Amino acid sequence: MNALLDAGLAPWLRAIDPGPIPAWWQERRRRALESLQTRPLPHSKEESWRYTSLNALLDQGFTAPVQPFTPPPAELDALLIPGLDTHRLVLVNGCFAPELSSSTPLPEAVRIGGLSNWLADDPDLLEDWLGTAIDGKAAFFTLLNEATLADGLAIWVGRGLVIEQPLEVIHICSGQAEPPVAQPRLLVHLEAGAQTTLIERYVGLGKTPTCTNAVIEVSLARDAVLRHERIQTESNQAFHLSGLYLVQDPGSRYQGIQIGLGGRWARTELNVRLQGPHAECLLSGLYVAGDGQLLDYHLDIEHRAPACRSLEHFKGILSGRGRAVFDGRVLVARAAQKSDATMTNRNLMLSEEAEVDAKPQLEINADDVQCSHGTTVGQIEPELLFYLRARGIEARLARRILCLGFASEIIDQIADESLRGHLNSVIGQRLG
Amino acid sequence: MSQSGVTSMLSIKGLRANVGEREILQGLDLEVGAGEVHAIMGPNGSGKSTLAHVLAGREGYTVTAGSIRFLGEDLLALAPEERAQRGLFLAFQYPVELPGVNNTYFLRTALNSIRRARGEPELDAVSFLRLMREKLKILHLDDSLLKRPVNVGFSGGEKKRNEIFQMTILEPSLAILDETDSGLDIDALRLVADGINALRSAQRSMILVTHYQRLLDYIQPDYVHVLAGGRIIRSGGKELALELEQRGYGWIEAELAA
Ligand SMILES: Nc1ncnc2c1ncn2[C@@H]1O[C@H](COP(=O)(O)OP(=O)(O)OP(=O)(O)O)[C@@H](O)[C@H]1O
Ligand SMILES: [Mg+2]
Repeated sequence: MNALLDAGLAPWLRAIDPGPIPAWWQERRRRALESLQTRPLPHSKEESWRYTSLNALLDQGFTAPVQPFTPPPAELDALLIPGLDTHRLVLVNGCFAPELSSSTPLPEAVRIGGLSNWLADDPDLLEDWLGTAIDGKAAFFTLLNEATLADGLAIWVGRGLVIEQPLEVIHICSGQAEPPVAQPRLLVHLEAGAQTTLIERYVGLGKTPTCTNAVIEVSLARDAVLRHERIQTESNQAFHLSGLYLVQDPGSRYQGIQIGLGGRWARTELNVRLQGPHAECLLSGLYVAGDGQLLDYHLDIEHRAPACRSLEHFKGILSGRGRAVFDGRVLVARAAQKSDATMTNRNLMLSEEAEVDAKPQLEINADDVQCSHGTTVGQIEPELLFYLRARGIEARLARRILCLGFASEIIDQIADESLRGHLNSVIGQRLG
Repeated sequence: MSQSGVTSMLSIKGLRANVGEREILQGLDLEVGAGEVHAIMGPNGSGKSTLAHVLAGREGYTVTAGSIRFLGEDLLALAPEERAQRGLFLAFQYPVELPGVNNTYFLRTALNSIRRARGEPELDAVSFLRLMREKLKILHLDDSLLKRPVNVGFSGGEKKRNEIFQMTILEPSLAILDETDSGLDIDALRLVADGINALRSAQRSMILVTHYQRLLDYIQPDYVHVLAGGRIIRSGGKELALELEQRGYGWIEAELAA
């Protein structure tokens, strides 16, 4: 407990009382806490924390709110994206808020509810499910999430079910008195052959500092297909941590898109385990970091089974004193012959002061594989800028257009046109 | 005043310009009156594109002497976008590709930037689309090009036609066409020439940089100039182009040396 106490993280551990929780759940919390006590705080000597200091986060004195909180509907309305037609699920400070969520019925084979509902309806399933995707790989902040686990949301999509309407999970972190920390847990499981789209949005309410420490567990059974768009547009005061743990069975397909636009300090850890042959994981990302922002990405992709494909393609735009970290590792296990993995990271630097630390790595233990990685760091090409200006477009707008052009390779992968439009306008504003 | 005595569109006097350390334009004079079409011919590397870029305001070209007036204003004092907003247009010899920038969006932004600068109302998406379809027909361009990013994956000829398409939308006062005819097939050349001719008017002037007499069969110039060694070394009527086609440039240089 010492490291936690010394660092002032004890107030994170006050959890909203979820009502009676079973012994196994208490045991999970206890084990997580125990594990935390044996670990030091993440520090700069750890490879994945080399470029990222925790100090600014610790200085904020974040505290887990103990009172459940419901934002006024008007504030929520302001966070919705006009034209985006989804089945909405809202989490406030990590707790599922059905009264803010869509009430339209879903097909019977999709089961969605807060963890406390699941506990009442199907405790055995929940016990087996919770934590499976993490599989002992929990990062420090994942353990912290686990040690306080009170509520969250779990989505189970039944065998062969194809849901056309996207599910949209909105994470809100808000508190009255102290700067709040929310630690949401999201579980997503697709049974064999199921197909769905999940949009996850992290949004800011107000301008005071907030902290979100989210853990997302995704498991795809055989031939399941998930499109997962994760969009972080929190305020520039926000601190954000999210750890995604994804496991894929044979023939499953995951298409994930990470958009990071907000946050003063935002760290995203993506852990992927391709454990069945012919699974495919496509991960793209876009981060736009301006003055005073640090956007930090860590990818850990494990090819454990043969003939899987993974493609990681991240792009970043950095301006002012904006900073980003792209730390990606692809591991190909000995058994994973015929693996196909490509990792690329491209950065567009708009200022001299901006900084990016990019470190893609391959660790290959099989001999018959196709793997490559590459990183580029460049500026706007003067020739392109001149072309736009020669057509009457003023320099600032011309730069913005070229940046949006650079971003479009990722943004255009977002399925919904309204959401794409929304993102383009947010990016446009952020680029000034 | 220009040679023909009509209102001056462009007046270049004693222009010297460097690219890097090297002087490329070495005392160039050119007068273009409103409504006139001037052809500029000359050997490779003589400075034709340099002149075009200096006129459009490209970075990296330093004017060391001389003056350029465009519609009565000091052109060199203006930023590239201001030049375009005042009606100058350069069709590039090598148009660049703009990945991720949609052609329609690009052109509408350009047109509206120009209109805004002139205090004219902007066109909404619908009226712009109508305008574009109308102009597309003139150049027989496929409208799938409009949905694509600017010039990305366009063939050489398509890029050139796209330049002229932009010109027909932006309706400049002075168009400088830098080897727009190079790389066009015979039919495309005809269409492009028709498009250019359709834009000819008493208020609009053009400078055609070309190596080939062929273009001038379609677009009759009022004047033909020979640019060599960074200067205009001979000017004449359209018959000069024919003579160049037959005799090359050597004889002029020889005459001057004599
Ligand atoms: N960026 C540059 N750096 C160095 N030299 C340059 C640069 N741009 C042009 N030059 C030189 O300036 C001279 C004139 O070039 P320019 O492109 O104006 O010729 P041009 O008359 O248009 O030729 P062409 O008929 O081949 O298009 C050439 O010798 C060229 O190599
Ligand atoms: Mg040239």
